Amino acid sequence: MTDTAVTEPGLRDLSEEEFVARYGAGRFTCGVLANRGRYVAEHICTDLLHRAFSPIITFSQDFVGAIVGPPEQDYPLAAVNKGNVIFLGSLSTGVRNTVWEYGIDRLEPGDLLICNDPFRVGNHVNDMCFIRPVFHAGEIVSFVVIRAHQLDIGGIVPGGFSLMKKNVYENGLVLGPQLIFHRDEPVKELMRTILDNTRFGETLLPDFHTIRSCCALGERLVQDSIERYGIEAYKGAIRYNTDASAASMRAAIASLPDGVYEGSDAVDSDGVDTEVEYRVQVKLSKRGERLEVDLSGSSPQSRTSLNATALDAQTAVALAVKLVLDPFSPFTSGIYRDIDVVVPTGSVIGAGPPAAVMFYFEIQSVLINAILRALEAPLGERAVAGAYGSTNLHTGEGLNPDGTPWFSAAELEAQYGAWGATDAGDGNNHSGLATLNMIMPSVEEIEPRVPAMILHREYLPDTAGPGTHRGGSALMKQSLFLSDGDHYLVPLHFRTPSGSGVHDGGDGRAGGSWFFEDESSDASTPVSEFRVPEPDDFDGAAVVSGVVDPESGRLDPGGEFAFFGRKPIWSERRGSVLRWITNGGGGWGDPLERDPEAVRRDVRDEYVSIAGARADYGVVVSGDPENDPEGLELDLEATERLRREMTAERG
Amino acid sequence: MPKAMVGVDVGGTFTDVVAVRDGVIETTKVPTNLIDTADGVLSGARELGVDDAGVFNHASTAGLNALLTRRIPKVGLLCTAGHRDILDIGQNWRPADAVTDPRWRRSFGDALAPLVPRYLRRGIRERLGADGAVVFELDEDQARRQIEVLGRCAVEGVAICLLNAYVSGAHEERLLELVREGLGEEIPVAVSSRVSPLAREYQRTSTTVIDAIMGITYGDYSKRLDAGLRELGFEGQWNYADCAAMLAPVEVAMARPSRVIFSGPAAGTSASAHFGGLIGDLDLLCVDVGGTSTDVSVVVGGRPIVNNTVELEHDMLVSTLSNEITSVGAGGGSIVWVGDTGEIQVGPKSAGADPGPACYGRGGTEPTMTDACLLVGILDEERFLGGQGRLDRSLAEQAFERLETPLSLSERVFNAFNIGLNNIAEGIADIVIRNGIDPREFSLVAYGAAGPMLLPSLLGLIGARRAIVPPHPGLFSALGLLSADMVFMESRSRYLPLAPESAGEIRAIYEDLQKEVETQVDAGSGAVFRRSFDARMAGQAYETPFIDAPDGEIDEAAIATMVETFHDVYEQRAGNRFAAVPLQGVTFRVQATVPTQKATFAELPERDGGELTRSRVVEIEHLGGEPYACDEYQREELRRGDALSGPAIVREPLSTTFVGPGQALAVGRYGEMTVTQEESS
Amino acid sequence: MSDQNPVQEAVSVEREPVAGACSDCGKEELMRYPVLSEGGWYQAVKCQSCLHSESREPDPVGPVEIASVVLV
Repeated sequence: MTDTAVTEPGLRDLSEEEFVARYGAGRFTCGVLANRGRYVAEHICTDLLHRAFSPIITFSQDFVGAIVGPPEQDYPLAAVNKGNVIFLGSLSTGVRNTVWEYGIDRLEPGDLLICNDPFRVGNHVNDMCFIRPVFHAGEIVSFVVIRAHQLDIGGIVPGGFSLMKKNVYENGLVLGPQLIFHRDEPVKELMRTILDNTRFGETLLPDFHTIRSCCALGERLVQDSIERYGIEAYKGAIRYNTDASAASMRAAIASLPDGVYEGSDAVDSDGVDTEVEYRVQVKLSKRGERLEVDLSGSSPQSRTSLNATALDAQTAVALAVKLVLDPFSPFTSGIYRDIDVVVPTGSVIGAGPPAAVMFYFEIQSVLINAILRALEAPLGERAVAGAYGSTNLHTGEGLNPDGTPWFSAAELEAQYGAWGATDAGDGNNHSGLATLNMIMPSVEEIEPRVPAMILHREYLPDTAGPGTHRGGSALMKQSLFLSDGDHYLVPLHFRTPSGSGVHDGGDGRAGGSWFFEDESSDASTPVSEFRVPEPDDFDGAAVVSGVVDPESGRLDPGGEFAFFGRKPIWSERRGSVLRWITNGGGGWGDPLERDPEAVRRDVRDEYVSIAGARADYGVVVSGDPENDPEGLELDLEATERLRREMTAERG
Repeated sequence: MPKAMVGVDVGGTFTDVVAVRDGVIETTKVPTNLIDTADGVLSGARELGVDDAGVFNHASTAGLNALLTRRIPKVGLLCTAGHRDILDIGQNWRPADAVTDPRWRRSFGDALAPLVPRYLRRGIRERLGADGAVVFELDEDQARRQIEVLGRCAVEGVAICLLNAYVSGAHEERLLELVREGLGEEIPVAVSSRVSPLAREYQRTSTTVIDAIMGITYGDYSKRLDAGLRELGFEGQWNYADCAAMLAPVEVAMARPSRVIFSGPAAGTSASAHFGGLIGDLDLLCVDVGGTSTDVSVVVGGRPIVNNTVELEHDMLVSTLSNEITSVGAGGGSIVWVGDTGEIQVGPKSAGADPGPACYGRGGTEPTMTDACLLVGILDEERFLGGQGRLDRSLAEQAFERLETPLSLSERVFNAFNIGLNNIAEGIADIVIRNGIDPREFSLVAYGAAGPMLLPSLLGLIGARRAIVPPHPGLFSALGLLSADMVFMESRSRYLPLAPESAGEIRAIYEDLQKEVETQVDAGSGAVFRRSFDARMAGQAYETPFIDAPDGEIDEAAIATMVETFHDVYEQRAGNRFAAVPLQGVTFRVQATVPTQKATFAELPERDGGELTRSRVVEIEHLGGEPYACDEYQREELRRGDALSGPAIVREPLSTTFVGPGQALAVGRYGEMTVTQEESS
Repeated sequence: MSDQNPVQEAVSVEREPVAGACSDCGKEELMRYPVLSEGGWYQAVKCQSCLHSESREPDPVGPVEIASVVLV
């Protein structure tokens, strides 16, 4: 936070002379260079997105491209591509830490510096940071940075997405600051070390080369800008970029009423047992243009790989505040200027060695929920309802009947889902978490490669948080396995709903996960004879996770929580079916004020049942939605009466 | 004597009509009637006359407009049970500008404006495996009941798209029969295994649904247009241009109407490639600067770079060959505004045609690029649109003065002009980078309403060798419709290793595709057949599209050639070669190109004595430094071989070319004006 | 199945009181504690009433010690 006793004049109010004095160039040049920086960050990612070998890079777009400013400006994050926001908070400090530890004087043109240690650069070990210095007249004036998820980085589980990793040594290979390319030539020893200690080397290696090319392109584009506009203007524009986004965030913070706001959310478990809670507690203190976010009261770091570091906390705090107050301005490190994050060391949101840090994004997700909840009251109508909560990751592996191995990660899970409603309208049904933005692989791409059939991927009625604006609906996803396999499942938010309603809206229904285990089939049973349960059939299923009626296995908010970690590995036979039901998104506004015609359409589209229309919305609809959807009748009088009764009953 | 040719390109504001008769090009522009685009088309056709035309080529936006505004017929979708929500999910991702926007909803999702509402998306009990084998039989009774529901809802058309149908259309064909039984012979039905037998169920569903919708929309439109043209005495063949500006006879286009949904921008590429071929310039950056946006496409070695998908809204995809086009929200009508720190920004919002730039005097109060160009002196108050329109300087000035920024008027105009240019430059940089191009080896073709006015000033920013302003730059895209090939094609997806073991299967696929294309082409038409494929390296998600495959026998040697060609293309575009990584073929394609009569350009005579004289001197101001004098010329007075130095303005009825200080202009064989940078500006 | 009331432990950041009045609002509620902001970690002395920072000392290492960096 800049320590100024007097509020500075807004950038808008500076005269052109004052502007030039401050930034070394006029508004035009700074504007052009600021835009250029963002374009450069996009251009360096274009190639990576279309040419990467890692499906996590391509589909999950699990990478970021950025320009970080010079050491003399303290490594500001000046520009970043509009892609995956989950890396953003760690880039400035992460690059600073990496370069400082390696030794800035040792860097040469054509070097590519890497680091993947969460305790130095945030995120997790798969997220390798690649840093290329840009020189001008012998000094480093910027860094071109790509941070990208590597498909595997060693550790005890392929791909790494397992809670069973209990410490740094089981988690994956940690690489402190070191060069992977020196003067544009591969540093073979490091590349061999990486390939000797990781899986899927044939995917990792070409991506290292592609990333180097992308960074080299970025360097050329930056040097172009410097040649065209001069080094002073270039450096001034970086400061301008961060000042502009600081100003935008300052105004956003100022728009909140002064006060202290608290909220919290918890993940279901760290995978060991359900005895210990893992909760993120948030206290936002806002005075004038200053915001302090204290995470004290959060749970200690977990016994497994469900941990995040303080840099991830910083990312999530900024994202949550941006989401509700300032969604569109460019992201630079300037947005932290007026935000102080207070993170308890040794907590699940500020873990320290030798904790395994892998599922940091799940902790970030509950932190964001906590902030959305804390800010519900002061935001009033601008409040944002909660989303689906967890990426529910699945990793599976095994042997096909013909003896060949199979492997699947992040495709047969329920990684995406509903968002909450807002003042703008109903919640979107299906997207990634706020921190993530992924392209979903298609069924037809998965099935030729993996011994599974995705038999169901459809929304369920009566799962969206009711409201004047309804939340997005829950998704049921069901996959049939055609080979035996071992499955690692990480569903982390079925114990309580994540889709909190706001502004008198209702919560989205919490979901769950089940395995229909097949005992009777063998390698010769034809697929057509496997049991494929209907959406309404839970008979005999093993409940992986969820709050269910212990007899029937169906979801029941008053039931008992089935704990997924009671079986660290779910070993299932050919013919088994993995079912997911995601959490519904939260509603916005009183459901008794939802336009009855909208409710009739919901019933027509089977997003709400006739019974649900009555119980949740006080709307009386009759007819046969399945067979005569256009013939549904809305009884407005009966609706009015029912709504009056329901209002009275609330008391 | 060859018959006349007529081409019509419907734009957002104007409908451009060109006719070529005896080598002479005639043009006209009529306002587009957005509600009934056929009206404008027939108006233009009437004006230039079509009774002597052998060919009428049409780039229509009727379908696209209807789709984007959701004024579409009611269509039902039959899909695999359990997968009703493919169209709501799309590919799941959010657009870049909405990554952290909690209020964002998918534009075609159920929460906003679906193409097919959920109750009309009916799940059918059936399932094919990844190899096309039947896993669960088609439940015909259940299917009949779903079809009944669609009938009860009086759908106007049906789309059928089942999972894994790209491998086997067996269940879809049976469903088609059941639809005919239940809903009659007349109702339009689009079947995914016929429309787009390509992998990835969302793209295929989207393409098939859009095909069903467009079949109805374009069906009506085509009938109307056909009747109208015949009434005007037209007796020739009329064709639609598709998204790669390839022509298809109307009957062929209507069998697969999603193919023609977005052809306008592609026509410009076609025009550029054809014209470039005439002047020997085969590597081109084609830049069409319109009122609202700039479309950039690329021609390499005389051939446009082609993609296998077109995106109509964020994530609304149609699988069809299309010219790769980057679109930037920067154009003549782009609005100039002030950002949070007092800095000038330009676009992407546009003043459009209504109210249009402030200087049009139609009620627009916000300044635009056109207003900037007027104040700079590039545009002439009196002589806009060949004298048909008048521009008001004072309105332009007032609009700029209204901006809330401490900058002086001159600084505002300077900033607007240059930032607008920068935005266009970034759009060009995007496609250049994406395709591994070195702009220093390319010529920039400048066209569209504002192309010649703005693009020469960008030469330094882009580094292109030179800018070429072709004849008729304001209607150049329409000329592309008379420079395009007629192409018949079929494609099919199969995930196959690109290795000797697949040779037999790949051979069979190409043979089948060849036969299918042959049925569409008239024997003796001189069609040239060409094979291509889309492939990727094992592990990659995206294919590199449209790679040449060898003719003749597909054997081990042919496979090796395909592999080598892939790596060559990939290396050229990406700068890296991963020869050791195995390849996977994804889509295979056969095209038949039928030679067509193309527009010819009359050669411009050389100057016959006398000198080129300017028509007057105008003043250019606000572009940094002191105002300076600028010679103005009339294009019709230019002759082949003329050369002039900037600063200079060349005027013609529908276009203005601005050559900056330090630039030079030379007039070529066909009257094209080539602008080069003499010194860095 | 599961225990309905899991054990709640909590970790918090200690704030050390500092004598003196805030130079912005005058109140005597100053505390010292580590914060993470633009530029990384700082040991800050802040007024708990108005959140003004009396002082902010950069703390490049931060609260988490990397053993290898200390040793080598």
